[in-house]
Amino acid sequence: MKNKKFNILFLALFLMIGAVLSGCSNGGSASEDSGGKKELTFMFRGQPQEQAAYKAVVKKFEEANPDVKVNIVVTAGDQYDTKLQAAIAGRKIPDVFFYNPGQLKAYVNSNVLRDITEYVEGSEGVNLDDIWETGVAKYQYDGKETGTGAIYGLPKDLGPFALGYNKTMFEKAGIALPDKDKPMTWDEFINVSKQLTQDTNGDGKMDQYGTGFNVNWALQPFVWSNGADFVDETYTKVTVDDPKFVEALQYFADMQNKYKVTPSIGEAQSLDTYQRWLRGQLAFFPVGPWDMGTFEKELKFEYDLMPWPAGSTGESAAWIGSLGIGVSKTSKNPEAAAELAMYLSADQEGQQALIDQRVQIPNSVKVAEEWAADTSIVPENKQEFLDIINDYGRSHSTDFTYNGEWLDYFFANVQPVLDGKKTAAEYTKEVQPKMQELLDKAVKQEEQSKK
Amino acid sequence: MKAEKSKLYRKEGLYGYLFIAAPVIGFLIFSMIPVAYSSYAAFTDWDGLSQMNFIGLENFKALLHDEYFHKAMFNTIFLMIGIPIGIILSLLLAMGLNRGIWATSTFRVIYYIPVISSIAAIAILWQWAFNGDYGLINQFLGYFGIEGPNWLSDKDTVKPGLILMTVWKGLGYTMLLYLAAIQSVPKTYYEAAKLDGANAFQIFRHITLPMVKPVTFFIVVTSIIGGAQVFTEINIMTPTGGPEYSSATVVFYIWEKAFGNFQLGYASAMAMVLGIFIFVVTLIQFKINEKTSYDMD
Repeated sequence: MKNKKFNILFLALFLMIGAVLSGCSNGGSASEDSGGKKELTFMFRGQPQEQAAYKAVVKKFEEANPDVKVNIVVTAGDQYDTKLQAAIAGRKIPDVFFYNPGQLKAYVNSNVLRDITEYVEGSEGVNLDDIWETGVAKYQYDGKETGTGAIYGLPKDLGPFALGYNKTMFEKAGIALPDKDKPMTWDEFINVSKQLTQDTNGDGKMDQYGTGFNVNWALQPFVWSNGADFVDETYTKVTVDDPKFVEALQYFADMQNKYKVTPSIGEAQSLDTYQRWLRGQLAFFPVGPWDMGTFEKELKFEYDLMPWPAGSTGESAAWIGSLGIGVSKTSKNPEAAAELAMYLSADQEGQQALIDQRVQIPNSVKVAEEWAADTSIVPENKQEFLDIINDYGRSHSTDFTYNGEWLDYFFANVQPVLDGKKTAAEYTKEVQPKMQELLDKAVKQEEQSKK
Repeated sequence: MKAEKSKLYRKEGLYGYLFIAAPVIGFLIFSMIPVAYSSYAAFTDWDGLSQMNFIGLENFKALLHDEYFHKAMFNTIFLMIGIPIGIILSLLLAMGLNRGIWATSTFRVIYYIPVISSIAAIAILWQWAFNGDYGLINQFLGYFGIEGPNWLSDKDTVKPGLILMTVWKGLGYTMLLYLAAIQSVPKTYYEAAKLDGANAFQIFRHITLPMVKPVTFFIVVTSIIGGAQVFTEINIMTPTGGPEYSSATVVFYIWEKAFGNFQLGYASAMAMVLGIFIFVVTLIQFKINEKTSYDMD
């Protein structure tokens, strides 16, 4: 009797240890064949409506490919990088996963990503010419530079960051609407902003402003259109102390401190200016394709897109964000995995579902052009998004460097300049050496990763 | 008779080991192995992707000159100011509730709710409360004609803001521990003290405080260990580490280095330094406690 009890206890314990150990070795395991089906793991992130759209697309893929089963791993946006990194460190890389173009080099050099050029070029479903060239280029890498060479992924989407304006506010104030082809100069931008910065209810406090930009996302267009950049063309030298850069940063800070066309200091937190824009208190505000769904529902005024004001080069500049879909080098079913990646990026119906959610612009050039011309979809000047992709859009500097630490340093410490406690010249001179040090480290890390 | 007893003993001993086996094995697999692995990684240039190359003490040397690490270390220690504040407040609260005031159990529940709530949810809630324009805190201050700062985006107010939140969050737990401790103080001591003519402060100073000292010690030790590892609230409330990195804690910096910048080796080195720091501080506390403790019997 006692013996039996003992045995049961022992058994239970063994089962428990067994479960723990197997959980350890099997967790998130990729592509084991089960019942003759090829299994793929697809890891991604997104807003709830995006998640639903992608799940639906995956389901359709499974229907079209009955021999493939896709296990979906989805995480909230802010946990994604950590989880992916942990999966990679544990060598349990999902077969198909989203990744940031900034991680391309590191992932290729360390054998995380698979070269899918042959699958993409041999595919019937994907017409490479029809996907934005800029989009594909973000995921090409020839071992030295990004932008050319083998394809290591396809764009999930392209995110051109355009400038929007509150059309209703302009009309009420009787000011001519911004030209959609000819960018404003910086002076013009300030002038219009000044006219629109008003106290509309007469309580002695401003309640309508020209704009309110978040430095993390909106400084780049000013820097670039002034002919400067954060880093030189070789991506090895930090150039924030370039006088043109300094001028752009100072102009950016002056909007608040000198021209007073933004909500005052301390109110510039991004959530707040975003809320103000939603409430119709700002004349200008950046708009990404992912905003369209929310703006269509929330805005009680009309808005449209325009080119970013241009600095000394006379030309607008904007950044294009992107998220890629890559295939793991360790995938046991690379062909099926590549199929899924292509399906997600380029399948017409799948794309349509995402476009209907108003969270992205079409990856197909042809569809995008039709979409831009469709006036029933707000905003009217969607062509501006396409112009950014075709003409004046650029990738973030960190897409070309091994990591983004050097640039994080710039934005983490820039607040005193925005508050007017430091001049742009002082600040950039002060941070350049430190940023350079971090960039040097990234370059060194990159060299090591190639070994 | 004797043989019988020792057999029983042996069997019981075996059962005992079996019972503790589960947590011990779990600890070995999920804690000790990663710790050993990370300790080794601290001496390499591991990027989390490719192989590790042994680089000796390089990472630790770099730490000495890493401005952000120093800042993060300072921030972490600064945020611990909340610990004594929390302890004093919860002791006061516990004494108040112990007097059997009206609706004691309701208050207990109210103070305990933050403890059982998810820290992520709480962090988001407080992020809104701290909002410069629409936040509850600034609205409240507005009633008294005070214009509150934009808490989380000003480097001078972000730390006090975080301290406020952690104190609020931990209050219920500490209070409950104190309440239990106070209630287990024998009533006879108080009666004797009153007969001897001790006033309320003297009773508190010479009876309550010494009697709850083991609890205080426990709270201080666990709070400092926990305080050294603050991460979630920082990550949610100030995703970039705050203005001028003024709210980044060591764990936050470790996480950024490891998962954002492919420097797992370096991050492991920092984790090791942090681990040793916690160990030493805890050791000192135990030594001090030994010196000042006394027995009632």
